[in-house]
Amino acid sequence: MSDKISLSLRVNGASHALAVAPERTLLEVLREELRYTGTKRGCDQGSCGACMVLVDGEPVFSCLSLAVTLRDREITTIESVEAGNELHPIQRALVQHGAVQCGFCIPGVVLAAKALLDRNPHPTVDDIRHALGSNTCRCSGYARIVQAIASLTGERP
Amino acid sequence: MRYAEPETVEEGVSLLSSTEHSRCIAGGATLVAMMNAGHIAPAMLVSLHRMRELFAITESADGLWLGAMTPHRVVAAETRLRGSMGVVRSAAGQLAHPSIRNMGTIGGSVCLADPSTEMPVALVAASARVEIAGSGGRRIVPIEDVLVDRFKTSLGRGELVTRILIPRGIEGAVGHHLRFSRVSGDYPTVSISLTLSMQGDRCVHASVVVGSCGPVPLHVAAADQRLLHTPLGEEDVAAAGQLLASAAAPIDDVRGSAEYRRMLIPRLLGRALSQARELAHV
Repeated sequence: MSDKISLSLRVNGASHALAVAPERTLLEVLREELRYTGTKRGCDQGSCGACMVLVDGEPVFSCLSLAVTLRDREITTIESVEAGNELHPIQRALVQHGAVQCGFCIPGVVLAAKALLDRNPHPTVDDIRHALGSNTCRCSGYARIVQAIASLTGERP
Repeated sequence: MRYAEPETVEEGVSLLSSTEHSRCIAGGATLVAMMNAGHIAPAMLVSLHRMRELFAITESADGLWLGAMTPHRVVAAETRLRGSMGVVRSAAGQLAHPSIRNMGTIGGSVCLADPSTEMPVALVAASARVEIAGSGGRRIVPIEDVLVDRFKTSLGRGELVTRILIPRGIEGAVGHHLRFSRVSGDYPTVSISLTLSMQGDRCVHASVVVGSCGPVPLHVAAADQRLLHTPLGEEDVAAAGQLLASAAAPIDDVRGSAEYRRMLIPRLLGRALSQARELAHV
């Protein structure tokens, strides 16, 4: 392991002073140092989206992001999406549509959907499918996931 | 592993040339994936994140200079990339998924030189030029001289890409990128980038480049010539497509056999040309 580098990471509005080796990914730092375990480790290759977080509001793969490169950026994980024990409307819609299944992909799906709806509150079903293109659900429950998100926009899939 | 975040290109160049097995890190979308898989273990990473000039987008008389650290998402939304320059914008918007477009950069795409991704194909169709910084100063070279083989560029040790010029191209021309993939977001089985200009129903300029069909983007002067001064009729498109297909050197892989790829080229070419004409309203 390389020498550690001191840095401060801003996660969910809070600053965290850390010392991390340069090869450590944001995913590893979130899960192992900061205990934000809602972010899941899937493929480590940017193929499955289980590790997705938002950086300055845009979805990125935390498994492909080196923590040292993310100083001064605003990182949002699934832990901050729920407000005061209230599920986020996206989370509620997923539950109501029976779209959560095993749940492993869901944190990434919620964040990808949140980034989409924050930018475009009225996406088409095609927009939704494209925005979720990098999120793999191993239960293959895509239809209900898309239905759930579309229900928030008034679109009919 | 050592890690550095120099603030100037010159400092970066000096670090890269003085350290063996050093690599630049831009968006990380490919480099970190390769590190995670244990394929590479650089002795030093030189981060480009603090080099402000690499994020700049500047307009000049020649065209638009895109800083190497410009993410694909920003390229896809850059409205100054219009006319034939629009081929680069069109390709950036179709590349992979939103999360990869947020991470991957145009400079990273050039340096990766992956023949089956969008950006090299579009940059060749746009006749882009690449500024490369090294210990001897800077040089500007055509994109086709940078991409020399599958995952191989002509960059020397200690050199890094600073910015890319998308030339304005011919007045009235349009640019378009069309990809064919098994599912949206996958690597293209075949892609076509082109710039096109019509006068009435006659083609007065065509530059057609094929991706995923060889070690570098495939650009065949005879195919462009075959389209020139024609109304882009069925026969013209089929003949140009045939010239491209016979010059192609595709591989067999999970996305399609070499034979299948060759068969796709003329068909995609026809579709890409008619879509481009719709964009140009001719």
